[in-house]
Amino acid sequence: MKCVLSGVLASALSVAVAQAEPFKCPHVGGDFVFGQEANINTLDQMTSATISTRNIAMNIYETLMTRDENNHPILDLAEAMLEAPDHLTYTFKLRQGIHFHNGKSMTSADVVASFDRYAKVGNQRSTLDNVDHWDAPDAQTFVIHMKKIQPTFIEALSSFSVPIVIIPSENRDVPAQQLTQPIGTGPYQLVQSVPGSMVKLKRFDGYKPNTSFQERTGFGGYKQACFDTVTFRIVTEPGARVAGLRTGELQGVEDLPATSIPDLKNDKAITILPLKNWWIQIANPNTSNAPTDKVLVRKAIQAALDMDEIMDAASDGNYQLNVGFQYPNQPDYTDVGKETYNLHNPELAKKYLTEAGYQGEPVVLLTNKDYPPMYNSALVMQQQLQAVGVNAQMKVVDWPTSVQMQQNTTEGWNFFFTGWGTQPALGALATMQFLVQPNASYKPAGGKDDPDVLAAWNDMNTLPTVEGRQEAFARMQKLVLERVYAVPFGSFTKVQGVRANVEGFVPFRIPRMANVWFTH
Amino acid sequence: MGGVLVRRLLGALPILLIVSLITFAMIHLIPGDPAIAIAGMSATPEQIANIRRDLGLDQPLPAQLWAWYANLLHGNLGRSLLLGQPVMTATLQRLPVTMALSAYALVLTLLIGLLSGIVAALRQNTWIDQAAMVLAMLGISLPSFYLGLLMIIVFAVDLRWLPTGGYIALSSDPIGWLATSTMPAISLALLLAGLLARITRSTMLEVLRQDYIRTARAKGLPDRTVVLKHALSNALIPITTVVGIIVSLLISGSVVIETLFSIPGIGQLLTQAVLNRDYPWCRVAC
Repeated sequence: MKCVLSGVLASALSVAVAQAEPFKCPHVGGDFVFGQEANINTLDQMTSATISTRNIAMNIYETLMTRDENNHPILDLAEAMLEAPDHLTYTFKLRQGIHFHNGKSMTSADVVASFDRYAKVGNQRSTLDNVDHWDAPDAQTFVIHMKKIQPTFIEALSSFSVPIVIIPSENRDVPAQQLTQPIGTGPYQLVQSVPGSMVKLKRFDGYKPNTSFQERTGFGGYKQACFDTVTFRIVTEPGARVAGLRTGELQGVEDLPATSIPDLKNDKAITILPLKNWWIQIANPNTSNAPTDKVLVRKAIQAALDMDEIMDAASDGNYQLNVGFQYPNQPDYTDVGKETYNLHNPELAKKYLTEAGYQGEPVVLLTNKDYPPMYNSALVMQQQLQAVGVNAQMKVVDWPTSVQMQQNTTEGWNFFFTGWGTQPALGALATMQFLVQPNASYKPAGGKDDPDVLAAWNDMNTLPTVEGRQEAFARMQKLVLERVYAVPFGSFTKVQGVRANVEGFVPFRIPRMANVWFTH
Repeated sequence: MGGVLVRRLLGALPILLIVSLITFAMIHLIPGDPAIAIAGMSATPEQIANIRRDLGLDQPLPAQLWAWYANLLHGNLGRSLLLGQPVMTATLQRLPVTMALSAYALVLTLLIGLLSGIVAALRQNTWIDQAAMVLAMLGISLPSFYLGLLMIIVFAVDLRWLPTGGYIALSSDPIGWLATSTMPAISLALLLAGLLARITRSTMLEVLRQDYIRTARAKGLPDRTVVLKHALSNALIPITTVVGIIVSLLISGSVVIETLFSIPGIGQLLTQAVLNRDYPWCRVAC
């Protein structure tokens, strides 16, 4: 087989050359206590898409490929990846000397077992839909054989939404969500999990860092565990997290309430770490229910909105205006469709309403109070719509109910309020899946996708070049905004905080505990 | 005797069946399902559907009911979807936490409520009486959640006397348990101590006006004996009834307090189980 060196490996090597010495912990020891906002229902990473599980589990597990700091695919447990010229075979050479937390050496048999389990119980098992089979010709080689060419396969394989983590082969047949003793290859290993209360990890002394890198990057890179132990404490009450950080009982916390930040900024013992672009605050229309089945009504609503006001209320001021479905620091970002965004033009809205023959039919905003940003954005949107003569009404239920209504019925609601977090961070492909069947959030009439949107989506998936796929994304974004199949308000900033004696903690999609240490 | 017992047990079976059916139906009538709650905010419909399938939630309701009964007959209450552990294990782990906290809060309630009620009654219409009743009213009026937050700011953040939250088991470290349980217990106790103080005061005032109290004083018995032996022992009869209600209020109050102080008890679990549609746990506890 004639092989080609992947761009992925090349980018990894370029990082390696750029820096001279690999990271070494300036100080080793201590127990880092992190206040986590949400409970976890499992540490079985293959079967969970929740941020709370990922926060902890991705310090325990590793994958063949993952994403770097800028969200590019990189190798992690593999030292090389070769894509065949016909694009139907991917060959991974595994790094040598990797051990699981139970002391067992990792071989390709474990990778095969991990893929076998993921195909059976993985929460995003459709990642492997285009894969014909996989095999292990020798102990250090793992090969994926495709049914058909999928130019975006590496992007999907390296996704951290529900990553294909590598587990020991003896766990192949553990049922979904029942892997209660997670064993991975990561820098930290599980000591104790008390459901609803805390999870304790300790440094894995047998950890072998990835020498293709000199520093941690994204979920991968050169990782070192500097703490003896890390304790994730479940602290759901925001005020308690703030108090814990101020007293030093918690050395790090996530999701600090915006109202507490001015006080915390004055506290020299605390470092505030804003994580921009945490999620896209968004409202999805129901195009199968009157009056939002008319594009002119939707355009009127779009024209009426003042995104600054909405985002300010939603985030207590921690936001950025953002056109579309990617963030400015991402490779796929484009501002096409900006002429539809943040118009705040009541006259234009009224003109569209007149043209649409709008007669005061109710526009129901389906939202919830479980996530205050969603409720607050709906509240402000209601007032802005009422100001231009739209009979906007709120329907407030809890989160599971609102999702069920949005998914199962096209009656009784016109806009569904949500946030897109992980998918925009993963890239355009992961995000735009929300706008085509079976996930089409705008509820297209008869369940049939808008053909123009579908064509753009197909091009995003199948065009051979990156440039071609990026152009297709731009086309899809423009269509979605022009036809108002989604109303993105802006991007939300999540604020984390650590004690001033904590070094190396850089906000990311998870709290990474590798390469973080106490200064004293 | 054995026949009666068997008849009674058999007679209870239809009731158990009806209650379990009603519980099952009520939980499933609530819109939303656990797969949505488990999947998190950014999940795709595909991911939610996969969870639903993996957990058997896509099965018809009669099939789910049948599976539940079959498991019950084997002594298996199911696995909590929220915690990922057996319902029985989760309950047994958390029950002692709530019981210990409630017991501590009950002791504080009795101490504060009884003492202030007695003192107020003995010093009726003095500033002591008025101060005790104002404090009692304050305790009743302040939401325990708000009181808890105030206590965290004062005793944990400003004075650094107590931890802001978390829980240490009584069996593993009694001092640690006292430190982690004191603020939650006081938050719970002050509300009910106010209630108990007012009832104790009014009951004591009534008893202190009785003829036998006047007789006891006329016999020259010391005040302490009159109050503790003759007045309080009689006043305790209605107070005891109220204490029974207080115990149940303490346990229900733990729902809020355990969440605020991150205490892994039954109250916290109950809140999260309902919000997240944890069917297996709700079938047992809700």
